[in-house]
Amino acid sequence: MENFDITDHLSFMKAEILETLRLVMDPELHINIIDLGLVYGVKIDEPGKQINIEMTLSSSYCPMGESIVSAVKNCVEGHYAGFTTNVELVWEPIWSYHSITEEGKKLLGI
Amino acid sequence: MSSIKQNTGLYRIVVTHYVVAALCFLILAMMMLFSVQAFTGHYFHPRILAITHMAALGWGTMIILGASYQLIPVVLETELYSKKLAWISFSLFLPGMIALVYSFWIFIPGIHMQCGAVLLLTAIILFTINVYLTAKKKKQQTIQEDFIFSACLCLCLTAALGTVLVFNFTIPIFTQDQLHFLKIHAHLGIAGWFLLMIIGVSSKLVPMFLVSSYQKTRLLSFSYYLIVSALLLFIVDSYLSGINYRTYFIALIGAAGVACYLLFIVKCFLSRMRKRIDLPMMSTFFSFILLKIAILTIPFIIYYHLKNDPISIRYSLIYGVLLIMGWITALILGQTFKTLPFIVWVKHYEHLTGKVKTPMPADLFKNSLLKVQSAGFIIFCLTFIPGCFFMSQLLLYTGISSLLVTAAMYLTNVFIILFHKTKTYGKL
Repeated sequence: MENFDITDHLSFMKAEILETLRLVMDPELHINIIDLGLVYGVKIDEPGKQINIEMTLSSSYCPMGESIVSAVKNCVEGHYAGFTTNVELVWEPIWSYHSITEEGKKLLGI
Repeated sequence: MSSIKQNTGLYRIVVTHYVVAALCFLILAMMMLFSVQAFTGHYFHPRILAITHMAALGWGTMIILGASYQLIPVVLETELYSKKLAWISFSLFLPGMIALVYSFWIFIPGIHMQCGAVLLLTAIILFTINVYLTAKKKKQQTIQEDFIFSACLCLCLTAALGTVLVFNFTIPIFTQDQLHFLKIHAHLGIAGWFLLMIIGVSSKLVPMFLVSSYQKTRLLSFSYYLIVSALLLFIVDSYLSGINYRTYFIALIGAAGVACYLLFIVKCFLSRMRKRIDLPMMSTFFSFILLKIAILTIPFIIYYHLKNDPISIRYSLIYGVLLIMGWITALILGQTFKTLPFIVWVKHYEHLTGKVKTPMPADLFKNSLLKVQSAGFIIFCLTFIPGCFFMSQLLLYTGISSLLVTAAMYLTNVFIILFHKTKTYGKL
């Protein structure tokens, strides 16, 4: 998960993007992908007008994988006009149930 | 991006299987309505044979084949080898199944029955080749792969033995009677095909749907080896000596295998992160209870069979009903509403997610119909099974009427999902 760095002038935008990604829901669990712990990082290439999202899925062949990735792209591009979004799927660290945030656990009724 | 891409070709194959299976379920309930008298007699009756094959092939196997094309790539983490092969398999399976069921219904064991059996066998072999070539693309071997591939092999053997039995009606092949081989044919189908396939797929899906933290597969490995050993022992022993005192021991090995699987499910359930259990998952858990009850009837079947008591026929009948119309049906009635809405949702909303508010997969079907369907099915179980045992026509009619309601609700909900129109609720 991304740390907030006050010396980085893009930190506010990164934090904003992460908040925006709370709009993307896992269709089965009905929980946003941030609280599920699927998003690992955000990188912004300001001159190149590109936003890179580093994220994972609950399994490499998650049946909902394609839709979640598509939703992330649609969501970021819809909110940041002029930027293109690239989603990079990574499998390290492997997502586990411990990746779910406290808020996510509350939403799951734990 | 390495996740599975949903494509139109795969969508059509999967959906076609679901629709045909739902129609077969309704036809099955009607066939039962016109055969109430047959449920009070011996299970080796033309109507019962037709109903059993409609249930096992048109309903159970049809939906498992359809779901497999969607789920095997998920479970084996690779893409389906060939969609064309899947279509060829389907186009042989459907006429084969219709010919076989109709020939049993009118009981003319001639050319139609033989052609039906050969078409089915060919379709099943093609399905197995497709699964084998799909699994071959993957390097890492998992216990789920062992379950699925063994299940496909058992399905081939079930169909092959079934085909030989069909020819045996007109051309004497076996010296023993049909009933001697019927036990082997039925158990290859139930324990070999249905049980192994269901364990293989559900052991991956149940933890996924429950968001369970239990990840160990040791219990599944025990379950696999115990069930396969029991099945092999049963085939050899019952071929050589029929039902005897050793059958108790073989049944115990098989039951231990099922117990390991159920323990795995319990561990997944207890370690689940998602506390709320929805109606489709409740139906799934209900199916496991029915499986347990079915296994508990086995010692009674063996005991009364060895005593030559005709009550063993009643126990055998309720054992078959509990497995096919209970366990498998409850599982399908639940899991359809976990899988089909997803398949349709991806087609309608994948390109819209993240842009606009969309319905969720669970919003694609009518929950009220699902409640009526579930209630109807529970009434069916509570009336039809005792009805078979006590040979009560009132209970049998009540049960079948409830099953008709269940099938009608199920079919309606399947069509509601399939004819869903894309709708959005404004910008995100």
